[in-house]
Order: sequence, then structure tokens, then C-alpha cells
Amino acid sequence: MKFSVTKEKLLECLQQVQNVVSTRTTLPILSNVLLQTNGSEVRLTTTDLDVGVRGSFEAQIEKEGATTLPARRLFTIIRELPSSEIQFDVDGKNAASIRSGQSFFKILGLPEEEFPPLPKFDDSKVVTIRQKDLRDGLRKTSYAISTDETRYVLNGVLFSFKDNKLTLVATDGRRLAMLDIDLEFPRSHEADIIVPTKAVTELQRLLTDDGDVRVSVGGSQIAFDLNNSLLVSKLIEGNYPNYRQVIPGEMKERVTLERETFLNSLRRVSLLASDKSNSIKLNFSKNNIDITANTPEVGEAKESLPVAYKGREFSIAFNPEFLMAPLRNLAEDEIFLDLIDEMSPGVIKIQSPFLYVLMPMRISS
Amino acid sequence: MDEKSSQLWTKLSAALKPQVSADTFKRWFSAVKLTGATADEVTLLVPNNIYQFWIESNHMPALQSAISSVLGGPRAVKFVCAVDTSAGSDAADPEPGISARVQAAAERANKTPGLNPRNTFESFVVGPNNEIAHAASLAVAQSPAKTYNPLFIYGGVGLGKTHLMQAIGQYLGARGKSTRVMYLSSELFINEFIDAIQHNNLVKFRKRYRQADLLLIDDIHFLGGKERSQEEFFHTFNTLFDGHKQIVLSSDRPASEIANLEHRLVSRFEWGLTAELQPPDVETRMAILRKKAHTLKIKLRDEIFDFLATRIKTNVRRLEGALMRVASFASLSGKELTHEVVEHLLKDILQEEARRAVTIDQIQRRVAEHFDVRLADMTSKRRPANIAFPRQIAMYLARELTKASLNEIGEAFGGRDHGTVLHACKLVKKRMKEQDKIRQTISFIDSALQR
Repeated sequence: MKFSVTKEKLLECLQQVQNVVSTRTTLPILSNVLLQTNGSEVRLTTTDLDVGVRGSFEAQIEKEGATTLPARRLFTIIRELPSSEIQFDVDGKNAASIRSGQSFFKILGLPEEEFPPLPKFDDSKVVTIRQKDLRDGLRKTSYAISTDETRYVLNGVLFSFKDNKLTLVATDGRRLAMLDIDLEFPRSHEADIIVPTKAVTELQRLLTDDGDVRVSVGGSQIAFDLNNSLLVSKLIEGNYPNYRQVIPGEMKERVTLERETFLNSLRRVSLLASDKSNSIKLNFSKNNIDITANTPEVGEAKESLPVAYKGREFSIAFNPEFLMAPLRNLAEDEIFLDLIDEMSPGVIKIQSPFLYVLMPMRISS
Repeated sequence: MDEKSSQLWTKLSAALKPQVSADTFKRWFSAVKLTGATADEVTLLVPNNIYQFWIESNHMPALQSAISSVLGGPRAVKFVCAVDTSAGSDAADPEPGISARVQAAAERANKTPGLNPRNTFESFVVGPNNEIAHAASLAVAQSPAKTYNPLFIYGGVGLGKTHLMQAIGQYLGARGKSTRVMYLSSELFINEFIDAIQHNNLVKFRKRYRQADLLLIDDIHFLGGKERSQEEFFHTFNTLFDGHKQIVLSSDRPASEIANLEHRLVSRFEWGLTAELQPPDVETRMAILRKKAHTLKIKLRDEIFDFLATRIKTNVRRLEGALMRVASFASLSGKELTHEVVEHLLKDILQEEARRAVTIDQIQRRVAEHFDVRLADMTSKRRPANIAFPRQIAMYLARELTKASLNEIGEAFGGRDHGTVLHACKLVKKRMKEQDKIRQTISFIDSALQR
């Protein structure tokens, strides 16, 4: 195979696919990227057998063919090349010669036949979502995914297709983020599937603000088909817990907060939240919230935030990291914080259908 | 018994209510049922896994304090999910006939025979002596057949080989429904093999082992000298390895030192990762004692822990036995535990500890290290003077410091006969008399071993 391409195009595509390549693997072929010519394009594919990503770029193809090359090595070489024009020439023994300006590299690859093919989706259910919606939805939920491997069903985002809505849910047992996206699909496509963390992370890298993504679900696999890239992943087997149970019923108090102001105050005060208890306290009084934190033998911090609040006076404590995570990932200027009492979960909401439930910490007074 | 459980739950609920908000209680605890309570465990039946996740993460302190106040002490809390309701559906109340399903679920969790549910990664105390073995086992459990294959764990008696292996099995067994875990000792493997030959159903035997996704074989050193079994195991090993299935083996010594083990097996065992378990240091022993005391709900004074940890050095199993003995004495007699009492109680263990502190294996290591020869040379047939003499010294020390018979010593030194050992002892004695330097060297190794 022989082709020439600009450095920028190749680098961009490599960046899309190279994160899937795992550093430690028993199968050498999995640390390689598959290069295939396809019409006037070259396709790059990587996989770790759980998640696979394919991207493509336009190139001037002189001779068709396919090979696999070590992904990390290829990436570091391309990044350092001096000139913008790159020529690739791969011989019959999978040795690739790379020429760019005055530089010449030869790297040895493995035959393409050894590369595990991405699964096929013949008999699958397909739903189309706007990329912007999905990207936004994953950004607002994925930070709540559990990293506790013993609760493996929580190590991913739930995609629940139901009643012409896609509901995305992530939880780790202490907090839960949930978001609805309106969608049209036939009733037969209703399903609950759990997409693993790695696939979610990679997908977020691929999604852009324009265009649609075609989601195909077949068996225990899912595929996300974007404009010119494709992500395929295994699904987490098992049933996602009944998350609706977590959402509190009637709320007693609601405060409207400016997201950035609130976040900045929290960030400052949390500097003195102790590592051990790791909690930050919100003291509600008339038209004011005092945010406080203290660490015994270190010191304390306090910040007042004027708000419109007419409810009863009380205090509630939260894990500062868990409180700040949604604030960082939301884009809205205004958020609502709904509370019942100091022992019941707090809920963060915005104008659109989004919900973040957060358990309070016990206040030891 | 049902009535008793529900009465107990009513009491627990009453203690729990003031500690959580009304909404929380109604939401999370009203649908919970208590199905069993033993001296150290309370089993709660919850409608589905979200109850377990949420109560575990958020309401354990409240639940534990309620349990303490009603039952008079902390208990481990075990959750059993009635049904795996799928996401989004409304919370289903537990239906009648559930107990059968619960039992089935419990059996499934325990499906691999031979795995002791107590041997998990959580209950394993990590110290500098077993860090690598633990990390490697965990890596294997998390991504089987991808990182280290085969994993070969070796170390002395009672240092946690079996614990780690079973932890891997349980971790995978609990995680993937479809993972077929096989755990057995090599002795069982041999017996089943013999049985299969006898009844002429080798095909069935092969099928059974070669379909496992994870094969755990304990005490692989018993394969030494069993040639047909080794050959059968060799093929099983290859089949599994080529199919990218994880294999984990444990032994009391490195593969290269297992007597009468075929070279092709030795080289395969050394293929993946070899991890050694060493006797725990005093801090780790303390940690082990405390963890064990915590799970058994034993309360002892710090100095007793200290005493046990410093005096019992070689073997975790013995350490735990001593703890049990001290604790049961304390609870049965109700007497104050003093140093003298403990010392008297553990007389036999402490004596044994002092005597058995030195093993032939340790002597071989020490001597090999001192003379800078390979440990394998201690058992090899090679006999140039620079190897033969250290070997004779080691035999002499083994005779002096252990209670092993001449035959046992000869066996440990690569199957030599008792005459060779006797000759070595005489020779070393003679040369000690003649040369001061040799006497000094030997007494130095001797004292290093006794320490």
C-alpha cells in the first residue's frame, strides 16, 4: 500500500483512535493500529477487544492495501515529523517506510489478517441522535459513574430507550445524575443497556457539535456511527438498578443559585475541608447561605453567599467534590438546589430535564 | 423462626427510625425484610440491588448502630436481592415464593466448589511481604488472561497462597455470570485423573478441565514425580493457555525447585509472572491480628496483640489459631488476660515456634546466599568443591537445627540417601575442629538463622 497525506489530517485521526490501545496486553496485535485503504480514504482501526474505534482521513492513494503498525510509536513519529507532506509506502512484509521532508523512518508492522475484526451489526436496532445532544448528555452524567469494580453494573452509563426518550443515568451509590433526551423511535426499539466507562470516555472524544450519530444495538454490543468515525463496544451484562427509587419525592426548600459564583465559593472553601471527613457545610438562613469547612488542627474557611431564601434555618453537609462535579459540567448559568431536611438527599436541577441527587453527610455537632 | 425474624426487624426498625429521616426510612427500609440473624451476621432481604447499593453507601452507620443497640454488638450485614428488577420499572414489592429464588441466587454466588467465601481480597492483609503477589492476583482477577498468564504464586505454609487463589476465583465468580471457575488442589487433579483412567472416561475428564475460563490449581508441587499426571496436566495447560484462559498455580517452592517436575512444565510455569509470598513482618502480623479480631468481634488489649505478633512469626494460620485460643479463654473464663496467662495458654505454640523457627528451606537459602551459590545447587547433582562443601554445611546445620531425620534431610537435598548426610555431618565437624575460619563461618550462619 502506498499513499501520501498531510501531517495534520493523519495526526488528527490517530489522536481519535490511539487512546483505545492498551499499554499492557498479551496480544501484540492489539497494540497496533490497522491501516486500510478504502476508495479515496485511509481507515484507521484500533481495539482492545472490549472497545474498538475506527476513523478515516482523505489521502492520495497510489496503491491499495492494508497493514497494521504499532500505534503509539506511529503516533510519536508522526507528531515529530518536520514537514507537512507525508508519504507512506508499505511493502509486502508489512514494513512501512515513512518519508517527510528530510526524514525517513522504517517501522515494522504485523499482517492485517491477525487484526481482530470489529463486530458486525446486521440484525440490530438503530436509533439516530444529534451528536450535540449526546455529547451534552454524557458530559452532564458521566462524572457520576462508579469506579467500584465490585459493583460492575454501575461501571458505565445506562442508556434507557423508553417512551420516545433516551434517559442517561450514572450513579455510584452516593449520588446519581440523570438526563433525558427527546427522541423518535419505534416501540420495538425500547431497551435498557449499560455502556462501559471506557466506551463513554472515547465516545465523548469523538462527538462534535454538528451532525448525527447512528446508534446500533445488537446482542451484547453497541456501535456509534459518527460522520467519519465508528466506535464499537461490548455492553456491561446485568441489570442496572432501579434508579427511580433514589429520586426524592416532594421537596421543601428551593434556592436558585448562579452556577459559577456558587462553584467558585465551594472551590475556595473546600480548600479547608479535611481529608478525613471531607465535608463542606451549607448553613441556610434568611436570604443567605454560609458555606463553611474546617479541619481540626489546620483551620477553617467560611464564605457567605446572598441568595433569595425564605425557608427555615438549617444546615446540611455534602462531600465538596460530589457537589462541585455537576456544577463544573453543566453549562447553564442558573441552577436550582432542592432540599428537604439535613438528612435527606439534595437535588440539583436546571431548566431542562436533568437531575442530580446527592446524599448529605452526617453532621457531627 | 420467621416470626422471630420479623420481631427482630420490628425492634431494629424502631431503633433505626430516629436516626434517619422519615422519608429515608419509608423509602429504603420499609420494604426490607430480615431473613436471618446469627451470632455474627444479619441477613437482609431487599427488593433489588439499588437498595443494597444505597443502604451500603449511605445508611450503614445508622443501621450498624441500630443493630448494636438491639443485638448488643456489631454484626456483619449481608444483603440478598429478591429479584433483579430492570432499570426504570417501579419498585416491586417482594412477592411470595421469593425465598426459593433467593436461595438459588445464593447458591449461584457460591457455585465453584471448594472456594471458601471468607477468602476474598477484602479480607487479605497486604504487607511488604506479599505486596507483589497481591497486586498480581488482583490484576489477574480484574483482567484475566490479559496481564499475567500463568500466575505462579509460591511461599511457605500458611502465608496466604490459597487465600489469594480463592480470592481470584471469588472475584471472577461474583462478577461474570459466564466465567467458569475451576478450583482444585493438584492432589484432587491426580485422583480424578487416576479415576478417569480406571473407569476409562478420559474424554470426559479432559472436557471438564479444558472448558474452564479460569483454572486455579493449589499445591502444584504434589505433581512432582507423577509422570502421567504431569503429561495430562501439560496438555490441559496448553489447551487453556492457547485459548487465552487464565491459569493460576500455587506451590510451596519455586517451579525450578520442585523435585521431579518435567522441564517443559517448569518452563511453562515460569512463563507468566512468578510471585513470592514471604513471612509477614511484625507490622503486617499486627494488622492481620487486628483484622481477624475485628471480623470475629474479639476485643483484646493492645499489649496482647503485640505479644502475639512478636512471638509468632512464621505462619499466619498459627497466628490466627493463637488469637482464637486467647480470645476463647478470655470469654469462657472471664479472667483478666495477663502476659503470664497468655504465655501459659500458648505454651506449646510458642515452644514449637522457637524450635521450628528454622526450616531446612531457610538453611538452604541462607547457606546458598552466604557462599554465593544458586539455591538450586543445594539439590542438584553437581559436586565441584565450591558447591559440594556449602551443601554439606547446609546438611550439617539441618541436622543440628531441625528435628528432621537423616532421611528427610537427604530427601530435601535432592534425594540423597542418609549415608551422604551422615558423611557430610562428620566431615563438617572434623573440618570445624581443624580450621577456625570454617567454625566461625558456620557459627555466623547458625546465629543468623536462629535470630
